[in-house]
Amino acid sequence: MLLNLLVLAPFVAAILMVATSKEDPNSSSRLATLFGIGFLVLSIMLIAGGNQATTPVEWFRIPGTKGPVYYYLYSHGLGAWMVFLSTALSLVALITAGNTACKNYRNFAIGIFSLMGAMNGTFLAADAVLFFFFFEAMVIPAAVLIAGFGGSEKKKAAMTFAIYTLVGSAPMMVALWYLLTIADNSLLLSLAIAIQSLSPETQTAVLVSFLLAFLVKTPIFPFHGWQAISYAEAPAPLSAILTGAMSKAGVFGFIAWILPIFPLQMSYVTTLMWMGLFTAVYGGLMALRAKDAKKLLAFSSMGHLGLAVAGVFSLSEAMLPAVLVLLVAHGLSAGAQFFLIGIAERMTRTRELDKMGGLSSKNPVFSTLFGFAGILALAIPGTAGFVGEFTVLLSLWDMGPIAAVVAGFCLILSAAYMLRFIQKVIFGKQAREYDEGPRMTGMEGASIGIMTVLLLVFGFHPAFITNSLHLFDEAAIEEMASVSKSAEETVADSSSVVEQEPLEDGVIPLDDSNIAQLDSTLAAAGFSESERKALIEQMLAAEAAEESKTEASENE
Amino acid sequence: MLPLWFIPLFPLIGTILLGAIAVISSGSKKGPAEGIVGTLAVAFPTFAFASVVLVAYTMPVGGIRETLCNWIDIPLFRADIGFLFDGLTRVMLLFITGIGALITLYSIGYMHGDRGFARFFSYINLFLFSMIVLVLSDSLLFTFLGWEGVGLCSYLLIGFWNKDLNNCKAANKAFIVNRVGDIGFILGMLCLITIGGSSLLNYESLNAFVRMLSGDMLATVLPILCLAGVLFFVGCTGKSAQIPLLTWLPDAMAGPTPVSALIHAATMVTSGVYLLARLSSMFVLIPVVLDIITWIGLLTAFWAAVAGLFQNDIKKVLAYSTISQLGYMFMAAGVVAFDASIFHVFTHAFFKAALFLGAGAIIHALSGEQDMRKMGGMIKKTPVTACVMIFAFLAIIGFPGFAGFWSKDLILEKLYVSGPMGPALYGVALLTAVITAVYMGRLIVMTFFGSYRGSKESEAHIHEAPVCMLFPMLVLSLGSIFAGYLWAEAIGLDFFKETLAPVVGGAQNLYFAAKGGVSHVNPLIFAGLGTAAALLGIFLALVLFGGRVPQAKGSSAPEGYKATWTFLFDSVHKYCGIIPVSVLAWLAEMVVDKILQGVQWTVGSLAEILGDGTRNLQVRKLRLQIALSIAGTAALIIIVLVTGGLI
Repeated sequence: MLLNLLVLAPFVAAILMVATSKEDPNSSSRLATLFGIGFLVLSIMLIAGGNQATTPVEWFRIPGTKGPVYYYLYSHGLGAWMVFLSTALSLVALITAGNTACKNYRNFAIGIFSLMGAMNGTFLAADAVLFFFFFEAMVIPAAVLIAGFGGSEKKKAAMTFAIYTLVGSAPMMVALWYLLTIADNSLLLSLAIAIQSLSPETQTAVLVSFLLAFLVKTPIFPFHGWQAISYAEAPAPLSAILTGAMSKAGVFGFIAWILPIFPLQMSYVTTLMWMGLFTAVYGGLMALRAKDAKKLLAFSSMGHLGLAVAGVFSLSEAMLPAVLVLLVAHGLSAGAQFFLIGIAERMTRTRELDKMGGLSSKNPVFSTLFGFAGILALAIPGTAGFVGEFTVLLSLWDMGPIAAVVAGFCLILSAAYMLRFIQKVIFGKQAREYDEGPRMTGMEGASIGIMTVLLLVFGFHPAFITNSLHLFDEAAIEEMASVSKSAEETVADSSSVVEQEPLEDGVIPLDDSNIAQLDSTLAAAGFSESERKALIEQMLAAEAAEESKTEASENE
Repeated sequence: MLPLWFIPLFPLIGTILLGAIAVISSGSKKGPAEGIVGTLAVAFPTFAFASVVLVAYTMPVGGIRETLCNWIDIPLFRADIGFLFDGLTRVMLLFITGIGALITLYSIGYMHGDRGFARFFSYINLFLFSMIVLVLSDSLLFTFLGWEGVGLCSYLLIGFWNKDLNNCKAANKAFIVNRVGDIGFILGMLCLITIGGSSLLNYESLNAFVRMLSGDMLATVLPILCLAGVLFFVGCTGKSAQIPLLTWLPDAMAGPTPVSALIHAATMVTSGVYLLARLSSMFVLIPVVLDIITWIGLLTAFWAAVAGLFQNDIKKVLAYSTISQLGYMFMAAGVVAFDASIFHVFTHAFFKAALFLGAGAIIHALSGEQDMRKMGGMIKKTPVTACVMIFAFLAIIGFPGFAGFWSKDLILEKLYVSGPMGPALYGVALLTAVITAVYMGRLIVMTFFGSYRGSKESEAHIHEAPVCMLFPMLVLSLGSIFAGYLWAEAIGLDFFKETLAPVVGGAQNLYFAAKGGVSHVNPLIFAGLGTAAALLGIFLALVLFGGRVPQAKGSSAPEGYKATWTFLFDSVHKYCGIIPVSVLAWLAEMVVDKILQGVQWTVGSLAEILGDGTRNLQVRKLRLQIALSIAGTAALIIIVLVTGGLI
């Protein structure tokens, strides 16, 4: 129910928003904020509720494929936190947009709600086709919002954004369709099994098509061409959502889809890790030279996400919680910074760093918040960013000291550009005369302030985040196993036969004989797929039973 | 028994309260009432000091351990928030909170009338919180929280007057240079984790682990341990302004003077020495790294002293002097005299803070003038300040009986007996002591003697500092006279050594036992030579600078972001750090990005042209279109036939 609400209700909210008045932004903003708060509460309930899944409903069949496509949602720690980011940032965006992009608040809210629904769907989908559907659907409201509410080059930005991301995921569509012609259905497990039956060359081709979509979305160098211009031209509240929540879809895809499905060769893993690290360095260097405040933040985001991707492909045991904390921290801090630079842009009527300055004497409260958010983005210990970056560094250290040193270099770069950014915007003297636009309202300040406080809270007590991944304790696993069993039963009832049982039998000896090969997939698969987890549990139980049998026989 | 977490809690509450006051009152023209803010600002450090005293008195010999809660708990890594209060922490905390409270009191007078009054004290409290965490924590990771926290506060306070971009640049420089060192610290921690898992970050488990090492096991981990030692030392060079990361400290003088006294002289910059002492049991296993530390310390001490000779800004002289004295401390740590190095940290905190506060009082009296060439004759106008500074001066040059005499001679002695290179080290260190006396003598002569060289109008305004500024100065000057008697071996007092013995004594004994004992030399010879060096230095200063003072040229306004005389390390940083990164950034933006954009738009335009082309085909040339599609289909079929199907 919760899952359905989070995915479908935003679209309902978007439709309801149509009923509000275009002329009276006040009433529509009140309604939108209420909806937003509702969704945020739901997402917190989702995190608190632990792992859960809906019953799979047959949705439609793609011609030429074996199994049907399900409408099937499930939530695990990773997805739930991403949903939290998407709802929280959308709420703050709805609050700040009231003053920033108020040309037609109602349409803006409609766009934001549809975007939120699509994002939630992406993070919660258990079915590959459903995931892909939402993954693509995200682009449309975002592009429309950029085109409708963006800056001077909004048309170009929207086109670049839409074409780049859609073209990027086109190969994935083909590859997915191809996989579906082999797999029993479009659930993760069957895809993972289907891929095993392919020749290595074809596997690589499919893998590359999948990777491309996520590499573009994250974005990873050299597929970042759309990012700077889109983030810069989009209205600041939307930029915050794009970087804070939507760009996470790429990293999420790596963790939740690539790692469990594909048996990755070590050479791919190292290549991807280095691509991530290179992106981190490249983003940092570009941010050093950026003259546009929002472009600077865009490149900073690129750098941080590059680090996250590098962390993902370190494949260390600490990787998942590390990357998750890094993602949440980055979502909150980059989001807060985009909101704040939006307010600064509104006040100073420019985005150019050289034309800003001196805000700390003109508007001390805003500057305090701005400086605070900037410092939180520096990954000072005690902030969530530090926990994330330190643990990612720890994971990278396993891959070799050079990787960790490069990541350390990125931390130095991030200090360099972030301090320059703070200095240019709030310190020094006012660079030029301008008539000041509307200042930060109390509501905006409070909502952004809460985001920064959350960063501190997660910094001192990251267990809020990391524990949500520990939810697989024994009781929870049993519960999940029963859920997935009932799911299997319902699936079995419907005429399309999902042959789960024989597959398990096929997997167990494989696991026994060749643990190392499964290891890379297991680390990721263990958490990202409830069925998988249940499978492991069953396997372990079977193993234990066998052991006890052998022990018993030995005793005899 | 007072829980240990109370100690950092007080300044933390202070930070939050004062920060809230600062933000709330920022809209008003006048700002919050200074009386209330000042009281709050001093109250919390004083509470912290009181609780430290309380705990220090009741502390058992073995120290107190407390684990507050879990911090990070993920697979492969686990860290707790815990506290360790032992002999070393006791010494550090007593002077950190004590001097911290005194300097906060002093700041009330110094910052009087500043619009950022509440903000300033909020930062100061945050600094004290971080510093307390740094020395009170029981694990490296939690220490790192304080470590970066003090760096952050240093950044905030150097750039406190942020309307002037020079100050901001100096602050940025301090933070970024420190960040470089901090990466060393992080990588050092990762090295330790590689050796023995995340539990090794805890000091006590680390000590236990190191004690257990022997034979083959030691041989296997020694390379990584050496690497860890070097990396931690890189962290220390950043925080304690040693070669090669020393360039930020002279620029850091852009901040308000009490900040220089508290952060850049007494407490924060000594945290590198603290870390070495804390990890002493690890460092004694890696003599190579110890040698590096000794030489770096020696070079830094010598060069910074030389640089101090050529400064005209009173605070810059003191900044170089601090770097030089820190060099002494590292030398001592390098020859495994960790207790002596901490003792010098302790005495240095008193006399250097007194010197800075005295300089602050002078600058305050002269309405912001920092150029010594425009001072002179101040002893008649500000006698109390002059007395305080002269006492501290005698302490720093090692005049017999004063604090510096005991601690510096101890270090010199340890250098001499340290090994085959000992006499050479001793010689350079003694020469440095002479230079120290010369440049400090120059400072005193130029500031207090002769006649006033400033303008007539400014002379009328000169006044002695208010009581709230004088009181801390007097206390600190008492400290710079008497603090040395805690460990005056010549007259048989070694209380300080006993205090530190449970923490660093074991490691030191182990090291010297392995080396085969220490040769004993009569300490009176060292005392005599040290005294001779001090007297020679004073004499030289009087001869060289007594009569003539160079004319002040151009503006004497303090300049941020412009350190000369840092052993050319500013240039080294520029050519090895800043310029390569800028070139890389330029390449990234102007070449790589342009090429990528070119490719991107080429592909885009090609697609468009193709689209246009096909549209033309569709509209006009139906026959051609059909022909093409037949050909295309045929080609597809052929491909499929030749390759044997796609699947």
